[in-house]
Amino acid sequence: MNGAMKGRAERPLSIQVAALGGEGGGVLADWLVTAAESLGFPVQRTAIPGVAQRTGATTYYIEIFPTTRSELAGREPILTLTPSPGGIDLMVASELMEAGRALQNGFISPDRTTLIASTHRVYSVSEKSALGDGRFEAESVLEAAQVLARQTILDNFAVLAQESGSIINAVLLGAIAGSGTLPIPRQTFEAAIEETGIAVAANLSGFAAGFEVAQAGTPEPRVAEPATTRPTTPRTTTPTVEKRFRQNYPTELHDLLGEAVGRLIDYQDVAYAARFLDRLDTLRAADQGEDRTLTRSTARHLAAWMAYEDIIRVADLKTRADRLRRVRHEVQARPGEPLRIVDYLKPGLEELCSLMPGAIARPLLAWAERSGKLEAFNIGLHIPTSSVSGFLLLRLLGGLRWWRPRSHRFRDEQRRIDDWLAAVVQAASLDTEFALQVAETARLRKGYGETYRRGRRNFDSIIETLVAPRLAAGDSSGAAIAVESAIAEALATG
Amino acid sequence: MERSFKKEVELLRLGANSTFHGEGILAVTKALLQSGVSYVGGYQGAPISHLMDVLADAQDILDDLGVHFEACANEAGAAALLGASINYPLRGAVTWKSVVGTNVASDALSNLSSAGVKGGALIIIGEDYGEGASIIQERSHAFAMKSQMWLLDPRPELTTIVNMVEQGFELSEASNTPVMLELRIRACHVWGQFQCQTNRAPEFSRKQVLETPEFDFERICMPPSTYAQEKHKIEVRLPAALEFIRHRELNEVFEGDCKDVGIVVQGGHYNAVARGLAQLGLADAFGQARLPIYVLNVTYPLVADEFTNFCRDKKAVLMVEEGQPDFIEQAANVFLRKADLECRVYGKDVLPMAGEYTAEVVQAGLAEFIAATRPEGIDTAAVAERHQALNAHKTRAGEILGQPVPVRPPGFCVGCPERPVFSAMKILEKETGPLHLSSDIGCHTFSTLPPFNMGNTVLGYGLGLAASGGVAPAFGKRVISAMGDGGFWHNGLTSGIANAVFNRDDSVLLIFQNGYTSATGAQFIPSTGRNARQEPSGMDIKSALKGVGVKWLRQVRTYDVAAMVRTLREAMTTNDPGLKVIVADGECMLALQRRKKPADGARLAAGQRLVRERFGIDDTVCTGDHSCVRFSGCPSLTIKPSSDPLRPDPVASIDNGCVGCGLCGEVAHAAILCPSFYRAEIVQNPNLWDQLLAALRGRLIGWLARPDGAAA
Repeated sequence: MNGAMKGRAERPLSIQVAALGGEGGGVLADWLVTAAESLGFPVQRTAIPGVAQRTGATTYYIEIFPTTRSELAGREPILTLTPSPGGIDLMVASELMEAGRALQNGFISPDRTTLIASTHRVYSVSEKSALGDGRFEAESVLEAAQVLARQTILDNFAVLAQESGSIINAVLLGAIAGSGTLPIPRQTFEAAIEETGIAVAANLSGFAAGFEVAQAGTPEPRVAEPATTRPTTPRTTTPTVEKRFRQNYPTELHDLLGEAVGRLIDYQDVAYAARFLDRLDTLRAADQGEDRTLTRSTARHLAAWMAYEDIIRVADLKTRADRLRRVRHEVQARPGEPLRIVDYLKPGLEELCSLMPGAIARPLLAWAERSGKLEAFNIGLHIPTSSVSGFLLLRLLGGLRWWRPRSHRFRDEQRRIDDWLAAVVQAASLDTEFALQVAETARLRKGYGETYRRGRRNFDSIIETLVAPRLAAGDSSGAAIAVESAIAEALATG
Repeated sequence: MERSFKKEVELLRLGANSTFHGEGILAVTKALLQSGVSYVGGYQGAPISHLMDVLADAQDILDDLGVHFEACANEAGAAALLGASINYPLRGAVTWKSVVGTNVASDALSNLSSAGVKGGALIIIGEDYGEGASIIQERSHAFAMKSQMWLLDPRPELTTIVNMVEQGFELSEASNTPVMLELRIRACHVWGQFQCQTNRAPEFSRKQVLETPEFDFERICMPPSTYAQEKHKIEVRLPAALEFIRHRELNEVFEGDCKDVGIVVQGGHYNAVARGLAQLGLADAFGQARLPIYVLNVTYPLVADEFTNFCRDKKAVLMVEEGQPDFIEQAANVFLRKADLECRVYGKDVLPMAGEYTAEVVQAGLAEFIAATRPEGIDTAAVAERHQALNAHKTRAGEILGQPVPVRPPGFCVGCPERPVFSAMKILEKETGPLHLSSDIGCHTFSTLPPFNMGNTVLGYGLGLAASGGVAPAFGKRVISAMGDGGFWHNGLTSGIANAVFNRDDSVLLIFQNGYTSATGAQFIPSTGRNARQEPSGMDIKSALKGVGVKWLRQVRTYDVAAMVRTLREAMTTNDPGLKVIVADGECMLALQRRKKPADGARLAAGQRLVRERFGIDDTVCTGDHSCVRFSGCPSLTIKPSSDPLRPDPVASIDNGCVGCGLCGEVAHAAILCPSFYRAEIVQNPNLWDQLLAALRGRLIGWLARPDGAAA
């Protein structure tokens, strides 16, 4: 640097805010501008709002020159319109993958950047629409953040916002204030919130929550996925069944087997659960692996398959004592607010046939499939499950469990399960890895209607073309990889 | 407009000695009033919509000054508005999104610039280029060149931008030529400040009317006037413009201590250059740089002697010119060649030919230029090192992340009325196989993104149907065209529908009637029912369709997916040989919620009964196949981790953003999808009857329900 430039080494503070449409990223940027301007700092903000309200990622870029206009005495700093790698002092991301995007763009640098990011996930369409699990491995974002940022404040700001009754932008502003990255005191930020004049109390409470998190620090951030509302089903087994799997299987499988057995008793009866254990026993000798990965995986798929979804099961699940509580929680109904539930069912020929004996069902289904009438007779029902008559209808349907073993579908599924299991056992004698993938094919059998049929077709085709010939030839070389990629492809395309 | 701009309107009232704090495009609006503009028009579109929006809300200010404001039918209409300045000393300004808007306007612009203007004519173009752009990537620059209009590209800070508005009018009048003022996306949205002047009432206006019309055949675009006009452009108007630019010093030179190299930059990219130099250690925060910089606030016409003077005694200059072709770089080489100067022009060899010039891109170009030219007195190794250090962690981040993070493009909003139409089409495609969809411009273009991936071509605003004319006869099945109500009134009624009826095209058209030009910010259109001044319009799409002779016409509520599938099926299979039009009717959910939320809030606060509807999913019933997502893509229809150890794939879930539009249930039925969905109706502020009924039902159902965890 030459002599003429001495004493002018100051530079603006650069702030990039990455938000999603509707999270108030623009208001957050406004608060920052108002706060900085009120202290007399030159400040500029710009944005790529584009069509952001339509759910896309949106960014706001702010530059604050940390010397007041009066001190500058007429000199104007040059403030820019786009962020640049290595040039960001404060990166704010309202969602974890947006922090990932900032990292990817080089906006987080170890010598300079404070990263404030919410650890919750809002999944992108590509993550949501996969038939299997299309979620990005978000832990890598946390890792990269901790390696590359000068300072990180990572917490579930979405939950903090919910708890404080504000929206996430106020909490993030609090975290910005609490981080001490900007030469702006807490009161000035609060004054900016007050000046906006909208939802001031809620926003100030959100601000305070964010401020505290930033001050306290976040030592071990974790990816915050949406909360699940697990049914409070006590696991029901009988001593005989319980004893059976506890004796025959290693401890680390007990939880899973308990879950499986409980599920099948709930689904059908104790005998059905015992049948599950009978089936699993055929694999016990074949799985010599130390960690019993094959047994674990097969047990999981076997139980899920045996508890296949038919109309009886659906009606049964929708008439549980616990359901209303879960729905109330899910839709955030407050105590004292009556809740009405309408269920959307559209049973048709397939659902009907699945309950009938094979002698009637088989020819009917064959005819329907030939003439493309499988979905021709479905009846759309809006069942008011919260009314007594609607509930009673579903309850009666759900109570048909006793009939299930006589149905066409039940017999058909049992036959297929046995075939599949035999293939797993046989594969295990060749190669555990191959057997694992054969077990994994059961994952394709899910969904309802057309989705279910497509999954079944994919399953059949993998078994026929990739599994059966290898088993017949007794040659498993390269088979595991072939099956694995066929499953992945079927899951990705849906 | 559903959104109010009352707060922004206040900015337009500011008088002398007050400071404007606000957005770039609003500063331009204020500058128009300060320049004594008589009339303003335009067509909405990002990034210039706010200019129109704020004026639509500022009727009293406009009335006080006598300024006429008009939301035009399209950009061609807006450009034609400038015809007022041909014969009369009226200052006028129009605005649109470019390059597309300039394309639409170009017929009128050619005629306008050939005739020349007496009153200043200013065209504010929002250059929708680079990140955040929603259109094809081209330069508006070419229009300035071919029509001999002048193009301003001011440094992106409000004082310069505002100054260029005033100077632009004067330049227009001094050279009898319309002037374009180009602002890129981020400059339109830049928030800054400038010192205001008092608004100026125009010389002639509604309040001070013209007395006699002027007839001047030389202003008519017909031979032989057109020959004379072309000559006049070159012999009189261009020299006058060059003289004005030179004399007013519209372009700027910032000196530097390094004498053997320099930088030439479009005004709009000056700040990126100054910052790039600062990051490389070659400038301070106030723009004092080691390298001299010639800033082109006017990018057409170029002033040849200014160029050659800047380049004289330099071994090389860097031309920072965004987009392609490299018009300015080519011209610079011609200037230097004619002046017989040795100075070498770097530009598209160290900077990319295509794509946005972000700070990152410019910095890389500067670093490469320094490395290639080794300017005297500059430590080139240190510059290279700084550049490397600034970008090193980007690579590191990529390594740790392992794969690119998922993209998050814009899509249909929660509860959007247009989404169900594509759900219906997807269901229909199960019967028909894939269909050719001739798409249009509007929110509905999001159908081309996942999860729908529908739409084979997009040819321009309102052109969906016109674009199907050639391809339809080549298909065995009928093709479907899309058109929004915005595109319909923009030009689709004539270029699409009237033409298809006239030519007896056997085709199917879906018109998305959401009531506004929603993609640009929900501005009013004729079928909204009222204009920007809230006066009733008495216009509607169905009457217009009947008026141009459409016989097969259906209107379907978009959320009724089954009816939409039926109607589409009928349109695809009917023996009727003509144009079949389905008006897909559903109000923009953003606009609807903007009204509904405050109204609901008020009802609740007043203790009145209100039923809130939303959808939910039984996660015990959901198998995690996500086919619902593939039929919808609604942002509030999402996934969550499974709580079932036997089925670890994430399950579908509906979050609290759900507005209860009903699509989930419709799709579950129409696509025969899955029984997991339920509709919940939450009775807020319940009355006594609600409470009694709920208590009774609760008791009976509790008695009937199968207890959890009970053995069979």
